[in-house]
Amino acid sequence: MSLLEVRDLHVRFGQTAAVRGADIVVERGETHCIVGESGCGKSVTSLAVMGLLAKGAERRAARMAFDGIDLLPMNERALSRLRGDRIAMIFQEPMTSLNPAYTVGSQMAEVRTRHKGGTRRAALDRAEELLGRVGITAPGLRLGQFPHQLSGGLRQRVMIAMALMNDPELLIADEPTTALDVTIQAQILRLLAQLQAELGLGLMLITHDLGVVARVATRVSVMYAGQVVETATTAELFANPRHPYTRGLLDCLPVPGKLPPGSQLGTIPGMVPKLTEGFRGCGFRSRCAYAQPACEADIPLYGTTHLSRCVLSA
Amino acid sequence: MTPAIEIRNLAKRFNVKQGFFGKPREVRAVDGVNLRLEEGATLGIVGESGCGKSTLAKLILGLLAPTEGDVLVAGQSLGALDRRARARLIQPVFQDPFSSLNPRRRVVDVVAMPLVAQGGLSGAEIRAQSLAMLERVGISAEMAGRYPAQLSGGQRQRVAIARALVLRPRILLCDEPTSALDVSVQAQILNLLAELRRDMGITTLFISHNLAVVEHVADAVAVMYLGRFVEYAPAKELFAAPRHPYTRALLASVLTPEPGLGVPDVGLGDAMPDPSNIPPGCRFHPRCPVAIARCSTEAPPLVGGAECHLLTP
Amino acid sequence: MKKAGLYVGLAILVLVALAAILAPWIAPHDPYAQDLNNRLAVPFWMEGTNPANLLGTDQLGRDYLSRLLYGARVSLIIGVLTVIVSGVIGITLGVLGGFFGGRVDDVVLFLITTRLAIPVVLVALAVVGLFGSSAVLVVTVLGLLLWDRFAVVARSTTMQVRGLDYVSAAWAAGCSTPRILLSEILPNILSHLAVVATLEMALAILLEASLSFLGLGVPPPLPSWGLMIAEGRDFMFFSAWVIWIPGIALFVLVLGINLLGDGLRDLVGGRA
Repeated sequence: MSLLEVRDLHVRFGQTAAVRGADIVVERGETHCIVGESGCGKSVTSLAVMGLLAKGAERRAARMAFDGIDLLPMNERALSRLRGDRIAMIFQEPMTSLNPAYTVGSQMAEVRTRHKGGTRRAALDRAEELLGRVGITAPGLRLGQFPHQLSGGLRQRVMIAMALMNDPELLIADEPTTALDVTIQAQILRLLAQLQAELGLGLMLITHDLGVVARVATRVSVMYAGQVVETATTAELFANPRHPYTRGLLDCLPVPGKLPPGSQLGTIPGMVPKLTEGFRGCGFRSRCAYAQPACEADIPLYGTTHLSRCVLSA
Repeated sequence: MTPAIEIRNLAKRFNVKQGFFGKPREVRAVDGVNLRLEEGATLGIVGESGCGKSTLAKLILGLLAPTEGDVLVAGQSLGALDRRARARLIQPVFQDPFSSLNPRRRVVDVVAMPLVAQGGLSGAEIRAQSLAMLERVGISAEMAGRYPAQLSGGQRQRVAIARALVLRPRILLCDEPTSALDVSVQAQILNLLAELRRDMGITTLFISHNLAVVEHVADAVAVMYLGRFVEYAPAKELFAAPRHPYTRALLASVLTPEPGLGVPDVGLGDAMPDPSNIPPGCRFHPRCPVAIARCSTEAPPLVGGAECHLLTP
Repeated sequence: MKKAGLYVGLAILVLVALAAILAPWIAPHDPYAQDLNNRLAVPFWMEGTNPANLLGTDQLGRDYLSRLLYGARVSLIIGVLTVIVSGVIGITLGVLGGFFGGRVDDVVLFLITTRLAIPVVLVALAVVGLFGSSAVLVVTVLGLLLWDRFAVVARSTTMQVRGLDYVSAAWAAGCSTPRILLSEILPNILSHLAVVATLEMALAILLEASLSFLGLGVPPPLPSWGLMIAEGRDFMFFSAWVIWIPGIALFVLVLGINLLGDGLRDLVGGRA
């Protein structure tokens, strides 16, 4: 049984479709990256899984299950028991998810006692242990500090430690290193990868950075215009991208060594279409060199292990 | 030959008050920067947040007055020039295309602004020149009548580039011009900048935290740490054989899209650089994985473009 | 539904403004014409009403509807003029303080705190008491006293806008400081200032009515709503409408302006 299984997820905000066909399966002990450009629906997908969509959003899916538990009929109370306990989240900007009025220690302890009970003392001990584990020096001292006293890198480490307070099985991280410097990003990603391997976590990592994807993911799903357009193992996707969008995206990257400096980068002409009511078929067809009439109909994911939502892969 | 731009011992110090009764602390944002760049070359300036690269950009643009030192463009000291003369020599492109265009002006008026400020041209001439420059960056005359909010991020950045180039300046200063853009749009903007640089022969300062982008565009690279260039070398040399330990760490932390390599160990501690408390000796020594005793007491010498004790024979 | 307040407020303001502008054509009588044989005629909803005087007449037999329509002119003109005077003072000070910071800002902040320490009504009473009542004096006094909120909002929004890249770009493009203030900063803070303008206008109209009620506002026989209430005071037990009618008119106008201001604030999406 997969840890997280999402089949044919659709989310709409009024007239606009934000997600119109996302299939994501996260296994235990693997890192599944969702990659795409802004507005492709990758963050909305993660929020939909957690039941954290804004009011007025309409969600439907063929299946959405965590460890075999059906998430679709769950009410807000049942979901909030799962969140922060068996499923934990890390967001891009830790300052918005940490409460500035409480110390690091009391926020971390609160996460533990709310879900698992136990004494505050025991929770604080665990918090200190985890802060040490995520590579924070003098963890005892940090417990008494407020979020604004920490640097961006430290705050993100605190967020990770806080996410681990209840031994989650699934960790959802939405652009966890985008706001950080490159050296800090490398440190945080290395830490996440280590923890994930040690604790056997399922990690769903949402990012726009193909470099991050290549280095940490076991499987990748590429999203475009609200759909997962390609899913494959990382090695397979980078060696043999099938969907024209994935190929276009890889060509846009300046890769040292592969491309002589100053040479022309590949580009994707055109713009993302507006996903208004009644938009069907491949969202990429207006920018695609291989577009054909068949692209205007709904296209399934073709393939068995390497899936691609493209008529060329049929 | 006079260099296109020369920076001599440039420094900027701020006094920041701490609390109501606290003693003001001195923040050394830029702390002795030197640089010479030939006509038509592109210099990449890389560094992490807080290293002073934004302050350096403001000093070069004349938005801030330096505490010490001087910036010379084509042999003229920027400090001695008035605002309009400076505008003809150097122009910026900023990071965020959503805050760099006045939302109340039409696109063509945004681009016309530097020409209007110079004076001496008729309205029709200004409009014609603005539209021509917009055309050149790929913005149609029809789009020129719209407001910035009706444009995509990439189009807005094209407008910002047109505004910067409409005066045909000697120097173009790009401060993280693609960091706020998606990868596919970034590629378009980088291609456009390369083409314009080639055609117009503009000398470019390209500030970025993205080393892959800098490697792609730059002829020379300066690595900035706590207000100083700790290494300054031709791009090929620097990327092939980085000399300063900080440069090595930066290069190691670049995540190229090559699967199977894993995340590298950068080897830097979690001590954060603080420009209000610059360490004695080598400013990098608290984070340096190969520091020796001398590093914490003596300022490092400049050897072959890099400031590091380990490079002395 | 969210914008209902905005539209209701706008409708009320437009209606009152139309009444004020068109008063000479739509008013059934001369508002100053007395008819002592027809004093305190009752309005249309009471028994014994005279169809010539839809809202009855006052203690001097002047047509109440006509006086109400002309009174709208007084209220609106004083409101608008006060907002213009106080807006010019407040916005100038606020923008200068917010833009230049440092010493200039210290001076502006000192002026704002000084102004906040002055009790508006008391000073207005004293000045009008000293120099005698006139519409010009009311506008001058209120305009010189009600600029503080303009200054505070203009100062804080200018500080936000000043740091944005398009202002830096204008500097770098060689624009002069006045040009930056007028064409880069001011257009981008106007929406916030419009909200303040509505609040101040409502306040000015109420203050004018209060001053007129106390006999220190516009001099009789000008038909000000505040003055109408004051003059009706002696007859309120037997002819309550003489107070009710201008009172309700004042209430509806101020409510409408405030609704408009709230709606604008929601549109602007800020705090003002």
